[in-house]
Amino acid sequence: MEKFSKEMWKKLANQVMFDLSDQECEELSQEFEIYLKQLDLLNKINTENVEEMVYPFDNPTSYIRDDEHVDVISQEDAMKNVPFKNENYVIVPKVVK
Amino acid sequence: MNFETVIGIEIHCELKTHTKMFSAGPSSFGEKPNSCVNEIDLGMPGCLPSLNRHAVELALRACMGTHCEIDPLLKFDRKNYYYSDLPKGFQITQQFHPIGKNGYIEIQVENETKKIRLNRIHMEEDTAKQFHTSTCSMIDFNRAGTPLIEIVSEPDMRSGAEAAAYVEELKNMLFYLGVSDCKMEEGSMRCDVNVSIRPEGSDTFGTKTEIKNLNSISNVQKAIDYEVSRQKELLLNGQSVDQETRRFDEATKTTVLMRKKEGSVDYKFFPEPNIFPVLLDRAWIDSIQKNLPELPAQRKEKYMEQYGLSEYDASTLIANKELSDFYDEVVKHTSEYKLASNWCMVELMAVLNKENRSFEENVCVPEHLAEMINMIVKGEISSKQAKTVFEEVVKGKDPKKVVEEKGMKQLSDPNEILKLVTQVLDSNEQAIVDFKNGKDRAVGALVGQIMKLSKGQANPKLANQILMEELKKR
Amino acid sequence: MRFSDCKNDVRKNVELCDKLTHLSQEKLNAVVTFIDPEEQIQEVEKKDSSLPLYGIPVAIKDNFNTKGIRTTASSRILDNYIPIYDATVVKKLKEAGAVCLVKTSMDELGMGGTNLNAYTGKVNNPYDVTRISGGSSGGSAALVAEGVVPCALGTDTGDSIRKPASYCGVVGMKPTYGRISRYGVIPYASSLDHVGFFTTCVEDAARMLKVCAGRDDHDLTSSYEPVPDYESQLNSDLHGKKIAVLENVMSSIQDQRIVDNFNEMVEKLKKRGAIVEKVTMDEALLQTLLPVYLIIANAEACANHSNLDGVRFGMREEGENLEEIMIHSRTKGFSSAVRKRFVLGSYSLFVENQDKLFRKAQKVRRVLVDAFSKVLDEYDCVMASAAPTIAPHPEDSVGEKMSDTYLVAENFMVLGNMSGYPSLTLPSGFVENCPIGINLTCKAFDEQTLLNIAKAMEEESGLANKTAGGAR
Repeated sequence: MEKFSKEMWKKLANQVMFDLSDQECEELSQEFEIYLKQLDLLNKINTENVEEMVYPFDNPTSYIRDDEHVDVISQEDAMKNVPFKNENYVIVPKVVK
Repeated sequence: MNFETVIGIEIHCELKTHTKMFSAGPSSFGEKPNSCVNEIDLGMPGCLPSLNRHAVELALRACMGTHCEIDPLLKFDRKNYYYSDLPKGFQITQQFHPIGKNGYIEIQVENETKKIRLNRIHMEEDTAKQFHTSTCSMIDFNRAGTPLIEIVSEPDMRSGAEAAAYVEELKNMLFYLGVSDCKMEEGSMRCDVNVSIRPEGSDTFGTKTEIKNLNSISNVQKAIDYEVSRQKELLLNGQSVDQETRRFDEATKTTVLMRKKEGSVDYKFFPEPNIFPVLLDRAWIDSIQKNLPELPAQRKEKYMEQYGLSEYDASTLIANKELSDFYDEVVKHTSEYKLASNWCMVELMAVLNKENRSFEENVCVPEHLAEMINMIVKGEISSKQAKTVFEEVVKGKDPKKVVEEKGMKQLSDPNEILKLVTQVLDSNEQAIVDFKNGKDRAVGALVGQIMKLSKGQANPKLANQILMEELKKR
Repeated sequence: MRFSDCKNDVRKNVELCDKLTHLSQEKLNAVVTFIDPEEQIQEVEKKDSSLPLYGIPVAIKDNFNTKGIRTTASSRILDNYIPIYDATVVKKLKEAGAVCLVKTSMDELGMGGTNLNAYTGKVNNPYDVTRISGGSSGGSAALVAEGVVPCALGTDTGDSIRKPASYCGVVGMKPTYGRISRYGVIPYASSLDHVGFFTTCVEDAARMLKVCAGRDDHDLTSSYEPVPDYESQLNSDLHGKKIAVLENVMSSIQDQRIVDNFNEMVEKLKKRGAIVEKVTMDEALLQTLLPVYLIIANAEACANHSNLDGVRFGMREEGENLEEIMIHSRTKGFSSAVRKRFVLGSYSLFVENQDKLFRKAQKVRRVLVDAFSKVLDEYDCVMASAAPTIAPHPEDSVGEKMSDTYLVAENFMVLGNMSGYPSLTLPSGFVENCPIGINLTCKAFDEQTLLNIAKAMEEESGLANKTAGGAR
């Protein structure tokens, strides 16, 4: 697998919405080496015809919530933790989609 | 060079439920901002999703109406991206296991029936609604989590008209099935269109552009027509079509570039660990199929085959589901199908249109209209009287009461009419003589006198008949 | 301190524990937020005194949402977050008569095993404050071990209850996946996260489990399995019980004192009629435990915490545009360790990497669980030392970085998270005056057997209700 430059780590970090310092990139590069070595351990395990284990238990459920009961919180509660708000709207700088 | 147009359509449709897809927060439209949410809709830390049964049922109905294969094992996935309208930082959707796939619908274009294949129908949740001022964006999370289905067609359409017919057909069907209120202008049904062109006879696809958020069926066609001409011009000038996202500009009736597509975005889809696969009960699915509301095509067939309506009348009725529902109620109480269709389509609609009322505000009781129609047929009121009666029936009144109150009831008792006829003849010796001398005009004058004597309530047909019999006796 | 030490005087219990936790703070640094208990005391006093946790003060790990009470998950990004709802298990505790006393320190967002990576700093081990408490439920473990509260809630994604329980010398249990609702628990990795608790004795653990367990329609992964009365059915008779000693773990432990302590316990269990046999799993397979765990956990965690963006709650740093606000808030809000894990998690989810990373890890997870469940097909319980060492000093701890070499003995407990099987650590003795513990794991939903065997071991160790602060 590829080796990553500082720029590459920073790009990866920005994709999940944060920055990494130069030093953090350096540490990540070292940790990534170990990560890759450990992947070799994984590759030693034969997983042919093995299905991914997404949940601890495989038996499906049959419960689905009825559409009748409504569970709503007050507008005040909804806005309580909002860092930047105006007239009960959550405000962010203008986004253009 | 001749080009062939290739069109595929993705439709997002809000499902008509009380609560949201993965929370019991209320589904709403037009409420106060951030007043129809709970902690789940806001993506608060620690929240978990719980699946809405009615949303699943509506998705199943859509699958059934479009002949999709249904996967009874529901599985959900996360689509990961960051945006201010996406509370969790991921959307729960069905990337890997859509609830329905490989369906089709039939559309009519220029009197030909064409099959349009559906690739898939999957369930997902809506995002929050954003309003943009000059300086900031304001977010209302009421819409966040609203149940959606996405319907993805195969690239089977070849013209703007076909695309418009496809959207129209789906819209009508989903509305009939009670899946969605399908209000394109309010955004409860949203349409993204992929358009490309290729030299006629080619079997590879040209580069496509995506036109987003078309808010009416006519705009679907206009946008495609424009886009096709734009792409043709590019190709004929030796230029190439770029893969990009465009939007339709109402004012100029053109499509405008929104953004270029640079490679595809990696949404890092993976199975949603918080929802175990849900195995739908076979019996439940069967009961939904069994109780599936009548589809417009089925209804049209019924109108023509069983009720003997013309193709035009049948089409006009089903084009408006509320009207058609009303008509269906009316004909439960009368077998005068044709007459009933006229009263519904022409008279009732005229009143509603004139008063600028929507069908939701209609107070006319179908049973009353049926009764009125029966009264006409039985000769209890004349067609002319019926117009007056209808003015009240449309306000929710019982026609029998109207007739009684206005003293309009038609006199159809032969004995009563005979009395009137006798009375008129007795005091019009000259008219009898004239009649015997072959002056037919005399009859008209006599009938007029009978009607006048009965204050207009005598059944004219019956009065005429009895009058003739009595004249012959004299 | 155990439940039976708490008298029916709610106010007296709560005020005592409140005083003790305040006093312990300087020594342990285990508390993030002290809750003013007055309102809860008045509420509980109105209730039926026969409630299972009537008037019992509990400590709550800071990743459980507590309505109106700051909940930070020990992350700066949630430093100002005041939940508008209670986690299901918090509701259940209150309904059972408990009083929530403190929110306890943890590794940031549960991501760690040392409790060194908490926004409020290191939590000190009650038996030797220079050592770590272990994590990520370090604050909860330390408070129960100090004897200032009788029980505390924790969560366990890799071994985050069972490792600190071993380091601090208390009973730490995570039942079967789905046994306790996760609704309202700030996640780490959803398919591995378990809710559990710490107590000073097995009997109290049995009672806690009864209170916390049960189906919750808010958590689609929670189970319909009926909840028995574990406490009244406790039975330490081991005759015929088959126990497997996980030899891969025991043979990799360097400290002979820990091995000896373990072997003494094995002999005692045999004398009680248990059949104890050594079992060896495929070593190459067990070597994958850590990478499989990290790949799955980091990927799920990165997605789970995408909601922490400074828009609707939490600490917001300003910026010119939305992206800058999110980037600044998250850069400042998450520690270095957490951000690095998120990057690795995100990387393994890329379309081009999923097959060789994320999905490969999920497949190996199944191979691991299949192998583990084969052992439990033959035995009632799998047993091993919970940790190869006593609580280390910070500089000696494995830390949050991945290391080149690691012992199966450091990581085997994650088998309980991958499989979802119920697992419990209880104290078995002391080395250098610091506690050591033994871990037990049973079949899915067989918590009763787990508690029964633990009860027998507790009777042998004589360490029920042992606390660093002494009996109170």
